Amino acid sequence: MMEGIEHTTSGDKRYAIQLIVNGDSYDIVVKANALLVNVLRDQLNFTGTKKGCELGDCGSCTVLLNGKPVNSCMVLAVEADGCEITTVEGLAHNDELDTIQQAFIDHAAVQCGFCTPGMIMSAKALLNDNPHPTEQEVREAIAGNLCRCTGYVHIINAVLAASNKDKKGV
Amino acid sequence: MKDDYAVIGRSVPKLDARLKVTGQALYAGDMKFPNMLFGKILRSPHAHARILKIDTSEAERLHGVKAVITHKDVPPKKYGVSPARRDENIFCIDKVRHVGDKVAAVAAIDEETVYRALKLIKVDYEELPAVFDPIEAMAEGAPLIHDDFPHNINVEVHQSFGNVKEAFDRAFHVRTDTFLGHRTYHSPLEPHVSIAFWEGDKVTVYATTQKAHYLQVDLARQFDLPLGKVRVVCPFIGGGFGGKAAAMGLDFAAVALSRLTGRPVKMFYDRDEMFTHNRGRHRQIMELTTGVDRDGKILGIHANFIMDGGAYTGNGIATAYYSGALLPVSYEFDNFKYDMFRVYTNLPGSASQRGHGAVHPKYALESQLEMIARDLGIDSLEIRLRNRRKPNTVTVNELGVNSCELETCIETARKISNWNEKKGKLPRGRGIGVASGGFVSGAGYPIYRTNLPHSVALIRVNEDGSAATLYTGAVDIGQGSNTVLCQMAAEAMGFRHEDITVVSADTERSTLDFGAYSSRQTLMSGWAVKKAGEMVKEKLLEMASKMMNVEPEVLECKGSEVFVKNNPTIREPFGKIAREYFVKNGILMGQGSYTPPKLGGDYKGAAVGTSPAYSFSAQIVELKIDEETGEIDVKGVWDVHDSGTVINPALVHGQSHGGIYMGLGEAIWEEVKFDENGRILNPNLAEYRMPTALDVPMMDSLAVEGFEPAGPWGAKEVGEGASVPTEGAVANAILDATGVLMDTLPFSYEKVWHALRKKEKAADKE
Amino acid sequence: MYLPDFEYYIPKTLGEACEILAQSDGEARVLAGGTDLLRDMKNDVGVPKALVSLKAIQGLDQIAYVAGKGLVVGAKATHNDLAGSSLLKEHYAAIPETARVMANNQIRNRGTVGGNIVSSVPSADLPPIFIALNASVTMIGPHETRTIPLEQFFVGPRRSVLNCDEILTELIIPDQKTTGSAYLKLGLRRSGALAVVGVAASVVANGGRIDHARIVLGAVAPTPVRAFKAEQILVGNSVTGALLEEAGRAAADECKPISDIRGSAEYRRDMVRVFTKRALCKALQLPIK
Repeated sequence: MMEGIEHTTSGDKRYAIQLIVNGDSYDIVVKANALLVNVLRDQLNFTGTKKGCELGDCGSCTVLLNGKPVNSCMVLAVEADGCEITTVEGLAHNDELDTIQQAFIDHAAVQCGFCTPGMIMSAKALLNDNPHPTEQEVREAIAGNLCRCTGYVHIINAVLAASNKDKKGV
Repeated sequence: MKDDYAVIGRSVPKLDARLKVTGQALYAGDMKFPNMLFGKILRSPHAHARILKIDTSEAERLHGVKAVITHKDVPPKKYGVSPARRDENIFCIDKVRHVGDKVAAVAAIDEETVYRALKLIKVDYEELPAVFDPIEAMAEGAPLIHDDFPHNINVEVHQSFGNVKEAFDRAFHVRTDTFLGHRTYHSPLEPHVSIAFWEGDKVTVYATTQKAHYLQVDLARQFDLPLGKVRVVCPFIGGGFGGKAAAMGLDFAAVALSRLTGRPVKMFYDRDEMFTHNRGRHRQIMELTTGVDRDGKILGIHANFIMDGGAYTGNGIATAYYSGALLPVSYEFDNFKYDMFRVYTNLPGSASQRGHGAVHPKYALESQLEMIARDLGIDSLEIRLRNRRKPNTVTVNELGVNSCELETCIETARKISNWNEKKGKLPRGRGIGVASGGFVSGAGYPIYRTNLPHSVALIRVNEDGSAATLYTGAVDIGQGSNTVLCQMAAEAMGFRHEDITVVSADTERSTLDFGAYSSRQTLMSGWAVKKAGEMVKEKLLEMASKMMNVEPEVLECKGSEVFVKNNPTIREPFGKIAREYFVKNGILMGQGSYTPPKLGGDYKGAAVGTSPAYSFSAQIVELKIDEETGEIDVKGVWDVHDSGTVINPALVHGQSHGGIYMGLGEAIWEEVKFDENGRILNPNLAEYRMPTALDVPMMDSLAVEGFEPAGPWGAKEVGEGASVPTEGAVANAILDATGVLMDTLPFSYEKVWHALRKKEKAADKE
Repeated sequence: MYLPDFEYYIPKTLGEACEILAQSDGEARVLAGGTDLLRDMKNDVGVPKALVSLKAIQGLDQIAYVAGKGLVVGAKATHNDLAGSSLLKEHYAAIPETARVMANNQIRNRGTVGGNIVSSVPSADLPPIFIALNASVTMIGPHETRTIPLEQFFVGPRRSVLNCDEILTELIIPDQKTTGSAYLKLGLRRSGALAVVGVAASVVANGGRIDHARIVLGAVAPTPVRAFKAEQILVGNSVTGALLEEAGRAAADECKPISDIRGSAEYRRDMVRVFTKRALCKALQLPIK
């Protein structure tokens, strides 16, 4: 499936991989030790995904990997070869915000905003699987996303409101 | 009165919310500049050691490394927040004073190369005996950390008001209790980043700082540059909480490395480096003595504190004074003595953290008051009502309070928490506790001696009046100051807030403002904005009166429309008037500035604690304890705040929730722990446990009607006042649930378990 | 943070994978979800020279019933695969319940059963419940395949009987009679918390009398340990509060907890007593307290 490419001058191995990010295919060349979060932020310029701890403890780097929320700081880019990745930049449809994004705005769920992209991705995955969650289910879905500003109150309100909006048959 | 406002009092959406939910908002770590290098600081592995030799040659030879610097390559001047305590070097010269102290820095073409290069720098250390406890540090024979500070005493405070001894002599009941407050850390989600680049002789720094102006001043001083040759810009900032409130090694190193390499340099900290930089809440030993009369009215308080200041002062000099200064604010009493030693230790420095100095002491006072209430058989709310501060009073340490709705806060909290139905009636293991809170709405005096105004604002209307720009040096660190100030500008001008753009926190492109600390911006930056807006409106109405042929006094302006007050059908659009003004004058603008009046007494340290206004609050916590395991389940928190006029309710409540959240975290789960060599045991977010969404309940936040004459439209702060009472409320809830006074923070499950087992053993013996 | 350099292999078969491991002289590690491995590597702990990815090897992530064997969980099944498995929920509900209290949702989407077992971290949550359910594990090497009881797998903290050229491929839960099983852990917060103490119990009870019990303690010894004395106290006796308390005390005596930043040995020991009682209550479907 994937061959290492010898880098002629230094002898380091590089790998040609394909990442499908927000529906678009990107062919890039990475070292084996490249982390998905860095490739997204630095090589592909999707800086919406944040680095808060780089150890998988805070959730700021949450992206959807084949539809499932993961900490992109703990995924090697080479392991994500051929996978579909959704970042926060991939949620809006052209200029139209996703229901969750709009709900975060409407319910004052954004303060410093650093946790927001990861939080929204976790919420998105939740509502994809469970369109009408309870408050407890929302808390479970975002338990891996730390927020220092909000106490999670407005965030939970926003996610529940977004789930109710979808009820109206959008 | 509130209903007359066009935009004040409305929960308008945060101006930057859309950028943040789409991932478009650029934080410092997201920024890229052409030809940019990356840089990091080499930190000491030892708590106290002489630097014998630094060999950077191998690091310099690594491919991709562009510069390696040590103390030899930067100005040797010491820096610090207060001129009275400049005790820190950019890089240590003769010795390192804590694990994580700054030794060198590297700039290289990519992050990985920087990490590799750091490993190649060889430093020869001679380890010295180290001390990690403030009492041991003050003792005879303790290792001296800073040559100029014998016995490692960094700050010593002795303040006395009235006569506490006499008060205690005539008191009906006197209690002395000792409480231990712990080290916690702000831990904002966004790590520190500093990017610097030079254009000729001018340096620009994009920094994660809460205080653009002070950073500018400190950089200018350190590098002997005129202020005008230093530009500090704040990108979007991912939280500060007092931890991004002083110049850091990252900032100085970025400036030096970018000068040396001729390229932009982005310096950054990893999460564990943030912990070792720290400058978080002080660990403090608090001996508190309170004497009351038979009704529980406080006659006098003696606060006798020792604070672990860590290796450097930073903001900690102010913390030392705040720790005592704010104790007399919530409750009225006439005798107060405050003795405090802030001591150097070979641990990371402690400094300002949300509630700056007031939090642990408040817990001590609220716990002791609770015990006194129990000793005298007085209800918890009643004893606080009897002692509550009233409006238009002066504290024993000469802090002037105007508006104060503490009584209403307490009574409202009683109601919304169903206190009367719960206190003393909850099932076994459940408890409910209360504490009062509140904080300054901006420090009365600047951090360094200056007569500059504290806040300046400028509003410029564009040529056809379809938009306006508000220039403010205020820093939005997530609390929403840009949004609130935009609302204020709109209200003052009579302009639609949707048409205002805010240019903030840029020392060159916005205006002077001291920045986000001591909860000052709503009040102080707000005043400057209000005046600027009013000036625009005044000029506009002057022009309108000519165009509409009426006296200016009969005109009003709201929502970008000018109209005759008692005949509003006669109206003109703002833009039409503005354009005319523009044509005649070239620009339509307004300016405003704010300096607080002279505040406070004349005694030593009197400046700290002063403020034009104080917020007040009552906070109630209900929790359930698992008596077998000590696990704490927080069932509810109710916070009732007197923030004067609320400019944006959603943002105020968001701040309240966040303050409670931090308070709960610090009360129960969070603690910075060290090993016997001064190394942090838990410099990560797995073991420094901030509560997750599964750990905290929904929080109820309410703001009472109030009006602060010293605040613009009557507004005061909320951001820090909400975290001040939480530790105390939790302690009192645990006391109510278990009968045990928790005298050591944090109230970990194991501590609760231990206290319960001890209580059982004592009961068995009887 | 950065990862050191390493050789990276993506074998297409288990045989290929074992060959690479065999030739790497103990310097290669298997990469599945990587949540434990990458964390260690970033923290400069036990950095391997090579990573052998299981990415391309198909079929290792199934959860299925295999006649004659039992319920087989593939080593690459993630914790969320466990949490969402209706097959497991039907037969051994304690397993999905355990998975749900591990780490957080994002980690659970990457972390694998194999990884959690092989890491041999004393506080790991899955080993206790698997051992309580008599699980075995299959390991494939270059020359042979072997299956051993999971109870015999662990040697000490981060040490197991897995040879450096072997790969753990599946966990087998044999058909067994069980009235109920449970795993309860004490964590210092409700998500993202390692077990301070973890107790798994599986019982066979008849009309209030316990015929059979397996109790496994986690996070309180160098490896998961069986609380044999506690089990003996229970077997053949009717369930009473006093009996459970006695079993709890016995279990507390059978563990060897250490004091660390998460808790003191004294606290852990008492929590073993409490959680043994509670796990037994849950397994017996009795109200706790």
